[in-house]
Amino acid sequence: MASGYDRALSVFSPDGHVFQVEYAGEAVKRGTCAVGVKGKDAVVLGCEKRSAMKLQDTRITPSKIQLLDNHVALAFAGLNADARILVDKARLEAQSHRLSVEDPVTIDYITKYVAGVQQRYTQAGGVRPFGISTLVVGFDKNSKIPRLYQTEPSGIYSAWKANAIGRSSKTVREFLERNYKDDMETEATIRLAIKSLLEVVQTGAKNIEIALMLPGEEIEMLPTDEIEEYVKEIEQEKQEEAAKKKTGRAGAGSAALPTRGQDDAAA
Amino acid sequence: MEVLLGISGKDFVLIAASKAAMRGATILKASDDKTRELNKNTLMAYSGEAGDTVQFAEYIQRNAQLYSMRNETELSPPALANFVRGELASSLRSRKPYQVNLLLGGVDKDTGKPSLFWLDYLAALAEVPYAAHGYAQYYCLSILDKHHQRDISLERGIELLNLCADELKRRLPIDFKGLTVKAITADGVKDIPYDDDKIVKSA
Amino acid sequence: MDALVAKYSRPAAEESDPFENELESHDLMNPADHLSLKFAMPPVAQPSSWLRAATDDRSNPECPIKIAHGTTTLAFRFQGGIIVATDSRATAGDWIASQTVKKVIEINSVLLGTMAGGAADCQYWLAWLGMQCRLHELRHKRRISVAAASKILANLVYSYKGMGLSMGTMCAGVTAEEGPALYYVDSDGTRLAGNLFCVGSGQTFAYGVLDAEYKYELSNEAALELGRRSILAAAHRDAYSGGYINLYHIEEKGWTRHGFSDTNPIFWKTKLEKGEFSNVTSELE
Repeated sequence: MASGYDRALSVFSPDGHVFQVEYAGEAVKRGTCAVGVKGKDAVVLGCEKRSAMKLQDTRITPSKIQLLDNHVALAFAGLNADARILVDKARLEAQSHRLSVEDPVTIDYITKYVAGVQQRYTQAGGVRPFGISTLVVGFDKNSKIPRLYQTEPSGIYSAWKANAIGRSSKTVREFLERNYKDDMETEATIRLAIKSLLEVVQTGAKNIEIALMLPGEEIEMLPTDEIEEYVKEIEQEKQEEAAKKKTGRAGAGSAALPTRGQDDAAA
Repeated sequence: MEVLLGISGKDFVLIAASKAAMRGATILKASDDKTRELNKNTLMAYSGEAGDTVQFAEYIQRNAQLYSMRNETELSPPALANFVRGELASSLRSRKPYQVNLLLGGVDKDTGKPSLFWLDYLAALAEVPYAAHGYAQYYCLSILDKHHQRDISLERGIELLNLCADELKRRLPIDFKGLTVKAITADGVKDIPYDDDKIVKSA
Repeated sequence: MDALVAKYSRPAAEESDPFENELESHDLMNPADHLSLKFAMPPVAQPSSWLRAATDDRSNPECPIKIAHGTTTLAFRFQGGIIVATDSRATAGDWIASQTVKKVIEINSVLLGTMAGGAADCQYWLAWLGMQCRLHELRHKRRISVAAASKILANLVYSYKGMGLSMGTMCAGVTAEEGPALYYVDSDGTRLAGNLFCVGSGQTFAYGVLDAEYKYELSNEAALELGRRSILAAAHRDAYSGGYINLYHIEEKGWTRHGFSDTNPIFWKTKLEKGEFSNVTSELE
């Protein structure tokens, strides 16, 4: 127990922690995983989708990937309901920005805004921080440079080439670190996003969501059968690789696929 | 002497607005666009008090966008028209009302039904087959009363529009510098080429 | 003290948005906002008509406040960038208050604003715009577009609409993404993009000269000369314009000033060397 320093939000513990904000980080780690990957001219968001229950209407259950404006998308990990509020604020700001300076928001600007809102909820009384981390992606007006940012409950924001948030994000991030290459073609970018998600999503394509953004175009949510194809390819590749390893190093062990630990919450 | 004209037909709505932006005795701009797209298949044309017009139109435009972002659905033209009327009505009862006259035309994305709405600065709303604002009303409505039919094609609509525009050129005492003409169909909003330099002789 | 405690210990559920009513939350996002002064308004029902009654020297020559008015300013886009030119006279009623007013306001190294209407209104709000542009630069790590800058000003003056602001200004600049860009903004809230504008009491005279010889393809020298000549025309015919010709040329690398030159010698030079202004005699009887 943190001896009462976690009771009120805007109170530091003697060693400089704001416990409520750190607990919000825990809520993020319990959320389903989301990844973002930048390619040469595209940026891809991927999400782990919770399995739907038998009677659930999947068509109208909201997605974890949402548009903030025509050219900016956001994926989150953590408390769904908190995200809704944050996304709504960001959408309002995006339109308000267009109204007051004519130009659409830059990705940098809207990220800063989202992080700014998150920060405000760590410093005021009577409120609780947002239990979400977000990945913000898109293209600035007249720009072909893909952008990817992350925000955290504390209000920190940072730019990335590829990143993961949520459950087992450490595993996925390490996977991305090992496999990321600069200037990937769009196809390879989507592939890497799916492949990294497969590190933690056991159930395959039906539990994966992929959104593709290209400069000056509308966001594209990949249909499930297309994701299915990618997954099949990747699985096959993995098996071939495993078989190769087996023959190459006979008797090295039956568990050739390096499956990682379920959770990285301890890290 | 701003001109706003609207004509609807079988599967389209045509909206035309004069290109002159006037301040006192000077035409400051001869290629002004007095229309704003509210969404893919709804267009609004405006005239009235300087400053108010653009501010109001863009405010409506951004709110329409925000609505479709938040609800992942586009508002239909009648829904937008009623929303605009509501905003005008509440502004009318404020300290500083927007003095804006509007035409709002659109085609319903699902049913394909075209609709044209006439709104004035007192927040009156009427759905009409054809409409005009300002002095254009006095010349064009009689022309359209005679020649317009509900099921006309876009080509016929453009013919009627030219009929109206010619009359305005002939009789309006001030040059309005031609028209921006746009057609709204199920495919969206598209510019219709219009010859501003055509000389119309009086009888 | 109790009230203070209550404020910060209120459960979140009691409020729809805890930041909705707090101005300071807005300040956190927009640190510049508190710099935009909340002006005290005169304690009357209609500030604008009250102000008009006190300042309108045309209907009441005895009015207590005489606002500096009367101007000719022009700007136009052409192949080599933008030319901005103004006169330098400020009048308060029939009285020439100054012959050496700087009516071009240097917002930053690539952005210029012009001044017509109330001198104080223009000076203050264009300086304010300069501040907003610099803050935009710091926040966004790149220079503001002319479109955005002019829109910030238009939104500001629109928020004061009907309260007696009197401005007719042009924002001109050349940026990498827009090329040469020119916007007209006035205190009605009108904002127009265009190739060519003249603003002020002498605008008609300037338009007359400028429209006739304006082409987008003008050379730099010809464009400068046309700008200068148009202001001269207005200075000659408009009683409320005159003094010096203030001339600027904006290119992508920034603006350069081409003098602040007395209209009088330019007028005589133009008349005697080119034979223009033939209605003016140059000999004593």
